[in-house]
Amino acid sequence: MTEYNVAIEVDARGSFCPGPMMELIKAIRQAEVGELLSLLSSDEGTRNDVPAWLKKAKHELVEIINLEDHDKYIVKKSH
Amino acid sequence: MRSIVILGGGFSGINVANKIAKKSKRKDIRIILVEPMEHNVYEPHYLFWSFNKDPLKKFTIPIDKVLNKRVLHLRTAASYIDTKNKLLDLTNGETLSYDYLVISTGVHLEEEQVGAYEKDNVHHFYSTKATQELQEALKNFNGGTIVISPSTVPYKCPPAPVEFAFLVDRYLRKRKIRDKSTIKFLYPLLRPYPVPSVAEKVQKLYDKRGIEFVEFFNYEEVDKENNKIISMEGEEIEYDLLVLIPPHEGQAVIKESGLGDREGFVPTDRFTLKVNGHENIYSIGDCTNLPVSKSGAVSHFSAPTLAKNILLELEGKEPSKKYNGFTICFVVTSPRRSMLLYFSYNFPPKKFGLHNLFIYGLFKKAFKIAYFKALLRGYL
Repeated sequence: MTEYNVAIEVDARGSFCPGPMMELIKAIRQAEVGELLSLLSSDEGTRNDVPAWLKKAKHELVEIINLEDHDKYIVKKSH
Repeated sequence: MRSIVILGGGFSGINVANKIAKKSKRKDIRIILVEPMEHNVYEPHYLFWSFNKDPLKKFTIPIDKVLNKRVLHLRTAASYIDTKNKLLDLTNGETLSYDYLVISTGVHLEEEQVGAYEKDNVHHFYSTKATQELQEALKNFNGGTIVISPSTVPYKCPPAPVEFAFLVDRYLRKRKIRDKSTIKFLYPLLRPYPVPSVAEKVQKLYDKRGIEFVEFFNYEEVDKENNKIISMEGEEIEYDLLVLIPPHEGQAVIKESGLGDREGFVPTDRFTLKVNGHENIYSIGDCTNLPVSKSGAVSHFSAPTLAKNILLELEGKEPSKKYNGFTICFVVTSPRRSMLLYFSYNFPPKKFGLHNLFIYGLFKKAFKIAYFKALLRGYL
């Protein structure tokens, strides 16, 4: 598994409403351009929402790591 | 004599104070509610109040009228919580000691962060003054584009902006100016509500009623000179009337006392409701960082846990009662219809049927009777 130097980790496991997506958006606002963030989510809806939002907002989805009971999204703030 | 001080007398604080007073027969405790306001407001009514001018007294009540006689109401606020010495600095210049503290300070509406509410076409419905101004703006609206958007999350009552769109549609039709108006609902997600099954229903109704949904719109700023709202994704949308839910943060006393997270919300154990790292402090309601909605329903369902844990501690026992995150939420889709959602920490929001039952739709409005007669008084 690739090791990432993550600046902000958002643990949104067990969160449904308003949801991990919003936690990620909040973290992106705080991050510096070029920094990596990770989002931990056990919510299935996140699998659609996060890649779609990153595409629209023009940030980079570096990798989705499927773990036992949750997924880990590695995201780069691009601008 | 041990002191249980409840800081903040909104629904959460009053409810907890009353529950502890009712459940404990102990004579060696005093229960003090610190709240500067004289009246409690049934806040869910602001949504409906945007469209009518019911007298305020129809949805407010003097706090002392619903407070258990064992509870002392101090009409002041706190400016600092000295957790080391278990003391509150009060804004009236006095100090107040506590053995157990319940923080129920609610949220602060960060209107100044938006810096546009002074304009006569930028409004919200999260306070009495703001809603009164919105009433006027709607009354004077004679066609154009109404844009509805949250600013940041979390905010109180997650469905409120969705509901506002439904109600403003109805209002404009009633005034026969719907055909001269556009309603745009902006939302940070790919769908108009976080829960997919609800979002699907909302989208169907929006399509039917001609409400435009703009996906992935994360508010960045208002260009008040050019009447435009701008997103962090780079989109710009023009408005004639903007209804923007203001950013919510924790109160200054929480930030000043070093008890808040980045936004001033109180880090709270989601099960025991004890403030992290503080053995004798609990927290409830909108001021917490719990991963559930900021709503009166959450306060209602979590208050018995908090009251029970304090009562257990008074008896020298472990505060073992746990809140499982259960709550309910009504999503109003017209003045006469609504959907009921229920969820907890253990399962995502589920929709309960009966959307088409007229009586069911009235529930959210009629709920204020139960609120004033039973919930505030700690009976349920």
